Amino acid sequence: MPNMCEATTRIVPGAAVIELSGDVDGTAAAILTSAYDRAVNAHDGPEPIGTVVLDFAAVDYINSTGIALIVSVLARARAERRSVVASGLSPHYREIFDITRLSDFIELFPDLDHAVSQLTSHAAQA
Amino acid sequence: MTQVARPAPGKPRRLDAFTLASEPGNERLALTRVAGTVKDLGLSEARLERLKTAVAEATMNAIEHGNGNRAEIPVEVEVTLDGDDIIIAISDQGGEAHAAAQNAGDPEEPDLLKKLDGAQTPRGWGLFLIRNMVDAMNVTTDGQRHTIWLTMRTGGAAHAEHV
Repeated sequence: MPNMCEATTRIVPGAAVIELSGDVDGTAAAILTSAYDRAVNAHDGPEPIGTVVLDFAAVDYINSTGIALIVSVLARARAERRSVVASGLSPHYREIFDITRLSDFIELFPDLDHAVSQLTSHAAQA
Repeated sequence: MTQVARPAPGKPRRLDAFTLASEPGNERLALTRVAGTVKDLGLSEARLERLKTAVAEATMNAIEHGNGNRAEIPVEVEVTLDGDDIIIAISDQGGEAHAAAQNAGDPEEPDLLKKLDGAQTPRGWGLFLIRNMVDAMNVTTDGQRHTIWLTMRTGGAAHAEHV
């Protein structure tokens, strides 16, 4: 049965993390947009947020409308000169990211720990 | 594991048939029920996931573009086993209008770079996903009824041919 999408945000060194749960479908539009706004605006450090992590580990379902929402987030991030990475996708949704070519523009990590670890390491080196 | 008896060659066997109200979100009911119907037919987990996505997208199209989100007009779903082929027929009452609307709204293959640059709408992934998820996709339309036929071979490799 459908599960409403929910999103929580937090800042880690070098990135803003949006942890999604439930269904990423048409009902997720306002939730995802609002989460993106919170994620990139909550930060008060000297450098703007350069990377947004979308974590899908708790997502049950993504449909074509959800793919369109992710495309919109990616387009906005690119316009703002931010990169987007994704973590926690199931093998099936990784395949869909490959088929749609989203994975050409969004680096995929197996889980959030791997993503944060790499981003934090890059931030420390910068 | 329950084994589903295979039909004799040339004798397709209907495994399930049901209807859904044309309400957004009801595609989840279709994918869950179809997955339950075909779960013992030998599809790998990856191919079952592909079929579920194709069923969900085809049902969404029927609800939205075929029946205009009018709950009282049902989407009909039929699951048939024909030899090694699982065939899912998803029908709406949009007829030619559905086909025309689909062609008007999705005139070209989705191109992610064009979408990111604003040259295409971010939407328009439904048929593209269906074609890439199943082994074959066909569409039939008459004045009243629009049906999308999804075929998944129980032992086959996945790449869609479509007509």
